[in-house]
Amino acid sequence: MAENRKPPELDGALILDTEEHDDAPSSYDDEGLSGDDENFVVEGLRQSSPRREPLSPDELHEDGKAELSSEMLVEILKRMSLNATVQIREDSDEVVLDVGGEDAGRVIGKKGQTLDALQFLINKIVNRFPESRRHIVIDSGDYRLRRENGLVSMARREAKRAVQQSRIITLEPMSPRDRRVIHLSLAKFPGVSTRSDGQGNDRRVRIIPARQARSERQPRRERPPQ
Amino acid sequence: MEDLKEIVSFIAKALVDDPDEVEVEVIEGEKTVIVELSVAPTDLGKVIGKDGRTARALRTLLAATSAKQAKRAVLEILE
Repeated sequence: MAENRKPPELDGALILDTEEHDDAPSSYDDEGLSGDDENFVVEGLRQSSPRREPLSPDELHEDGKAELSSEMLVEILKRMSLNATVQIREDSDEVVLDVGGEDAGRVIGKKGQTLDALQFLINKIVNRFPESRRHIVIDSGDYRLRRENGLVSMARREAKRAVQQSRIITLEPMSPRDRRVIHLSLAKFPGVSTRSDGQGNDRRVRIIPARQARSERQPRRERPPQ
Repeated sequence: MEDLKEIVSFIAKALVDDPDEVEVEVIEGEKTVIVELSVAPTDLGKVIGKDGRTARALRTLLAATSAKQAKRAVLEILE
């Protein structure tokens, strides 16, 4: 089915998409796939393409990646013995694979870990060739939206605490995407600044009250030196 | 334990340049199941990924799959 849809003049649309996701989280970066070639494509695109409006549903289907990724996801879930359905959802200019069915909760996993792992691997698989990258989002119902809202309210709550107790609050380690949500949600929060500390998997957001910002290196209590 | 092997083998084959070189062995212990993955040397980076992210994602899927079973699944990538 995917094959039928592929028009011969498809290159333009594919490259257009590369730009749309240029600033997407680095979670699907790959040392083998990135590099000069990709930069070349993106640069060329900026010069030649005046179009910036969201892709139409037809364009979303053109490269067949929506179908390919949903087929791959179905095959993986089947092998995981999970009873789940996959639907392609076109919210905007993104391909979203929506997982439903009785095992949807297990597909999401603790804190969305399984969902994120599936999303990471599916992106690796369908974006093996850098000239036609497309970011695939895997969601289940409104899980990602709810989780983001949850992160935002947690961030505000902790920021309030940081101000009230005038001490630095260090959050638990999070993915780059989640940290970004926290940073953005507190960017305009009065009286605090945020920054990420730590390496790799252990990177955590610290919420720093304004009064502490200067003496940040000597936190008053509870924070052992790292 | 066949499903663990199937998951790793299916995903690994989809990730690498040389799917014919993908081999998966399952070794059952008392409390753990070791899933050994070997690929062409040139494809090692593809299954490990930057900072081991691909390997970690595979391990997450194995953990989710073996959650029902009493045994813990461990992924070993052979070099």
